[in-house]
Amino acid sequence: MTGAFLYGIASLMRILLIEDDDEAAAFIAKGLRDAGHVVDHALDGETGHGMAAAGDYDAYVIDRMLPKMNGVDVLKRRRDEGDETPALFLSALGEVDDRVTGFQAGGDDYLVKPYAFSELLARVESLGKRRNAAPTAVTTRYAVADLEIDVLTRTVRRASQKIDLQPREFRLLEYLMRHAGQVVTRTMLLENVWEYHFDPQTNVIDVHISRLRSKIDKGFDRPLLKTIRGAGYTISDDD
Amino acid sequence: MFRLLRTTSFQLTLLYMLLFAVAVGVLGLYLFRTTLGAVDDQIDNTIDKDMEVLAEIFAEKGEKTLLEELDDRSKWRDGGLYMLVRAPSGALLAGNLTALPPEALTADEDFFEFSYERDRVDEAGAVVGVESRRGRGKIRSFSTRTDDDAPFLVLTARDSSDRDLLSARLRTVIVQTAIAVVMTGLIVGLLFSRTLLRRVDAVNRTARAIRGGDLTRRIRITGGGGELENLAVNLNAMLDQIERLMTGMKEVSDNIAHDLRSPLTRIRNRLAEALDADDAVRDAALAAAQAEAERMISTFNALLSIARIESGEGAGVMEPIDVNSVVEEMAELYEPAAQDAGFHLSVKNKPAHPVQGSRALISQAVANLLDNALKYAEGGERIILSVGETPEGAVSLSVADDGPGVPDKDRDHVLQRYVRLEASRTTPGSGLGLSLVSAIARAHGARLYLKNALKSGRGLRVALVFPPAEAA
Repeated sequence: MTGAFLYGIASLMRILLIEDDDEAAAFIAKGLRDAGHVVDHALDGETGHGMAAAGDYDAYVIDRMLPKMNGVDVLKRRRDEGDETPALFLSALGEVDDRVTGFQAGGDDYLVKPYAFSELLARVESLGKRRNAAPTAVTTRYAVADLEIDVLTRTVRRASQKIDLQPREFRLLEYLMRHAGQVVTRTMLLENVWEYHFDPQTNVIDVHISRLRSKIDKGFDRPLLKTIRGAGYTISDDD
Repeated sequence: MFRLLRTTSFQLTLLYMLLFAVAVGVLGLYLFRTTLGAVDDQIDNTIDKDMEVLAEIFAEKGEKTLLEELDDRSKWRDGGLYMLVRAPSGALLAGNLTALPPEALTADEDFFEFSYERDRVDEAGAVVGVESRRGRGKIRSFSTRTDDDAPFLVLTARDSSDRDLLSARLRTVIVQTAIAVVMTGLIVGLLFSRTLLRRVDAVNRTARAIRGGDLTRRIRITGGGGELENLAVNLNAMLDQIERLMTGMKEVSDNIAHDLRSPLTRIRNRLAEALDADDAVRDAALAAAQAEAERMISTFNALLSIARIESGEGAGVMEPIDVNSVVEEMAELYEPAAQDAGFHLSVKNKPAHPVQGSRALISQAVANLLDNALKYAEGGERIILSVGETPEGAVSLSVADDGPGVPDKDRDHVLQRYVRLEASRTTPGSGLGLSLVSAIARAHGARLYLKNALKSGRGLRVALVFPPAEAA
């Protein structure tokens, strides 16, 4: 897990954490701070809503079940007041309907307890990136070092050399490129690339990654697709 | 008994009975009025006609003939009552009435009613006494054209005792009928309420017993059909579901206790070990504790999923699912992993009808079966994912491998929770994979089969057979 803490590659974020469990909140806040982010903490829904309205945050992490005002209502009110700050729900309720409720309230991501901290960190950092991206223009080309992909023409080039990918491999790469510089967990990949919401017991995702890696990194000096031990994967230019 | 009187059905019966009694009363009154009216009319007509005939006799044939006629008529004993009186003196000239009734003096032209006495006669005609009877009649004064003074008074009447008797009898019949109706209503109502009360009591007794903690009790089904029976059947079905949920909940808590206690103990021991150790040992102990915690989390998640699916809550929306495409997608997801593990994963996809179900759950079941095949089919080379339809129209989805398979005696056993056959103790896993598949199968009304995949007895083939879709 220490690997994830040290891997603070995303830009600094101001995060509002609304969680009534003191101990869990302290653990989350410490982890996020260790990763280089600024964290404010509210213990109930009303306080949380007040702080969200007053402060300027890059992301909200909201527990679904809160005293005074539940998490879903907090976010609904923020959205009604025009607040577009990306939000992640933490919940013990993980079924399809529960997720749908969370997304309908304006949530951008949904994490079911119990979860690994590395999963939470990766998802929060992925939210911050979403906000920083220019909301108007839809990006269709992504580049990391000499690796480029074009979403419209579905082409991939590395050092101007064309690389052929299977459709699923392309979607996998596209997702990683959209989150370049961030840690992407196996669960995030399974949810976003394959649209499944369960944990496979075997290493299915790892094998897909290693196939992709053999196509984009093999034969080049610098590997771009890296494994972050205990957390997931990332595509980045850094060493 | 008093409880019976307070039941809704009895009160309803009482109300109906009351309405019926009123209806009977009104009918009786009508019957009474018309019957007596007809009798009265007949009496009055007879009297008027008699009076007319007598007036004619007097006018045409004179006083003497009238006298004879009246004498004659007086002997008939047909209920006719007559009296001829000479006007000024009041002397009785003829007739079978012995005294002028006092009512006659004030009656003018109208009918009047009176009492009179007459001899009671036995069958042989001998006088045996006197009886008091009622009569109704008219009185007129007769005069000739030549004589302005009315020389005679003629009283014509009919005996009306029989009419009074009829009236009394009618009244009795009507009252008796009304009483009979009310009594019958009461008895039927009581019987009806008692039957109903008994059946409702049975429901109440069961409900009380269940509230008292005996969840196995059910309402007795008599087999008689009807809406009460229907209610009982539905209540029983509801109770079955509640019992299933309660049992499920108890199992989950038992399982959690069983499954989480040992890893928790291990974590505590590792942490204790880490407390007073040098850096290298501490790091190793912490890493082991962390790995243990990760395993606990995945076990916990699997347990929760099973519990949710079994309670019917996790199934979400059931919709027509194209199983062929689910299998294609899962094969695409698992193909690299299978190849990596030394298997050739192939798909035999025969067109099949859509299955009513949850895409997420069916996918998860296939994933678990593939996970199992990758983990346990050691020494195997092939994994075949197939979809097809049985001759009956049921859709079958199966995962087959050519690994060592599962011994016959362990077939049922492996479907239970936490069962991991001895041979697989060393591989990671919670032992919940097949239980989850089994729970998903139940949520879809599908059957789960475990068979040998090969004639040699090796290999395992796990099939999910979905019930044929209802003709849409």
